[in-house]
Amino acid sequence: MPATGPSQAGQADAHDARPTREWRKTRPRKPGLRLLRGSDNLTAYTFLAPFLIIFVVFLAFPVFYSLYLALHRVPVDSFDIFGGLTFVGFANFAKLFADVKFWWSVLMTLYYAALIIPSGIAASLLLALLLNNRLKAVAAYRSAFFMPYVLDMLVVGIVWTLIYSPHVGVLVRILESVGITAFSEKGFLGMPAWAMPSVVVANVLKGAGFGMILYLSAIQNIPGSLYEAAEIDGATPWQQFRSITLPLVKPITFFMVIIGTIAALNAFVEVYAMTGGGPNVDVGGRALGATWVTGYYVFDTFYTQFKLGYAAAMSYVLLGLTLVVTFVNRRFLRAEEV
Amino acid sequence: MSVGGRTRAGGWKRALVYAGLTAAAVVVLFPFFWMVVTAFKEPGQAFTAEIFPKNPTLENFTRVLTEFGFGRYFVNSVIVATTAALFATLFAALAGYVFAKKDFIGRDKLFGFLLASLMIPGMMYVVPQFAIINKLGWMNSYRAMIVPHLANVFGLFLMRQYMTTIPNELLEAARIDGAGEWQVFRTIMVPLSIPILATLFLLTFQFHWNNFLWQLIVVNIERLYTVPVGLALFRSQHEASYTLIMAGSCISVLPIAAIFFFAQRYFIEGMTMGALKG
Repeated sequence: MPATGPSQAGQADAHDARPTREWRKTRPRKPGLRLLRGSDNLTAYTFLAPFLIIFVVFLAFPVFYSLYLALHRVPVDSFDIFGGLTFVGFANFAKLFADVKFWWSVLMTLYYAALIIPSGIAASLLLALLLNNRLKAVAAYRSAFFMPYVLDMLVVGIVWTLIYSPHVGVLVRILESVGITAFSEKGFLGMPAWAMPSVVVANVLKGAGFGMILYLSAIQNIPGSLYEAAEIDGATPWQQFRSITLPLVKPITFFMVIIGTIAALNAFVEVYAMTGGGPNVDVGGRALGATWVTGYYVFDTFYTQFKLGYAAAMSYVLLGLTLVVTFVNRRFLRAEEV
Repeated sequence: MSVGGRTRAGGWKRALVYAGLTAAAVVVLFPFFWMVVTAFKEPGQAFTAEIFPKNPTLENFTRVLTEFGFGRYFVNSVIVATTAALFATLFAALAGYVFAKKDFIGRDKLFGFLLASLMIPGMMYVVPQFAIINKLGWMNSYRAMIVPHLANVFGLFLMRQYMTTIPNELLEAARIDGAGEWQVFRTIMVPLSIPILATLFLLTFQFHWNNFLWQLIVVNIERLYTVPVGLALFRSQHEASYTLIMAGSCISVLPIAAIFFFAQRYFIEGMTMGALKG
């Protein structure tokens, strides 16, 4: 605990530096003068120390160390992966770029993103519009919609697995009662065409409360006079939504696209809980998983196959993709705003 | 359309909005409802047609808690989440204070650098963090689950934003009275930052309670399983015992649901603050 250090430094500061501080008030600050306040720097970095040490060791260093791992062959049986690694250059990356399973996972990740981002935005916006009415009990509904967002994705996935399950799952039963038996045999998660959309539905319903709050506060910031003017001009509610609400909540939409992309590139727990990357589809004679997203492939390579170097290389490509997508999003949406 | 027309349509519109809200709530909450009712069903009755169990039973809960170790997992989760939340909040508060109130070399660059790290996908960290934990000899320990996540950059951002609004005059007054930096922090900043400290404590508690992937990776002895890890591995071994799995699921989400019920304002504001102000 930095209990004594900072307080001593602080006291010294209080005694010696007071005249300096008075003097500084009347003079423009110059960056060079900061050096004179050495004790202030010492205090600041003492307070920062616990945070910075953890940050450097467990967040900053790993990013670089991951690259080191990606450039080495890590023996499967070795646990000491700091020493005795063979440098293999870009071999892991070369292997990765020739790995059909990897490109398939990128494709599945993009598919996942293409499904979950628009449907997540639509669900959030719909809930926000419903809540944007002066009604009693709005607060209770708001809590109900937000609560699933704070709960564990693993549990949500496990519960949905039960709901989606073949023969006996409640959703299959409900559909049977209205004469739809297409899902009875394999269940939603067992059918390649339906597995990914089903994962998306579970996840959208869990997460929509977050976007809802963002959209709600953006909508409530729109001046009512805009809608009144539109109404005088004879605009229908749909036209008002299209030409007033939607453009004015665009910053939120932009944010939702960015975090949705990052979430898709990181997607793991939902797949782990519901499908384990499956069900397999036959693509040109190869069995590939219909929900085999890159995040799950990284986990599988690392945790099941224990290929650390390969997993690290894969995670680096994931980082590259994240940066590219974010950059493109930013350019694209900024350009549109002008 | 006149304003009068809108008022007349009000009754209709209101009924429609209520219907929409209720339908949405049913859809959103259905999985949790189904989880709870299944957990109270007798084993073997998991897939019966009736919605509510005919003979509701607590057997599933008592069995997972005693026979299958969920009691132990629960204690582990409480230990990990509470300790981690305490230290993550403390570290973020200390760092947030100096970023908000101190002028030091490299401040703005460092802050920008820290914020930029939020862009990095979490999957990046898994392999190297595992390597570090392994090298430190921390595998299968509480600290392996806790320490790597104690530098919470988002939390630091929240802290700094909040602490910037605390008037400098208060700090100056305390310093003139002879208070050192630690005393200023402890007697001025901390008491005035209680809402944001509570928010960050709850958010980090929630994060660690749900931090399944990392806990799965660094722990492989049953004595140290947390609830999500125990639940996932229990499911893989007893795939057909759905009433037991649902009881375990209930136990897993109950604490966060209860905290959310009593402190939802902190959750909602804390989680959306970054997006709305940043």
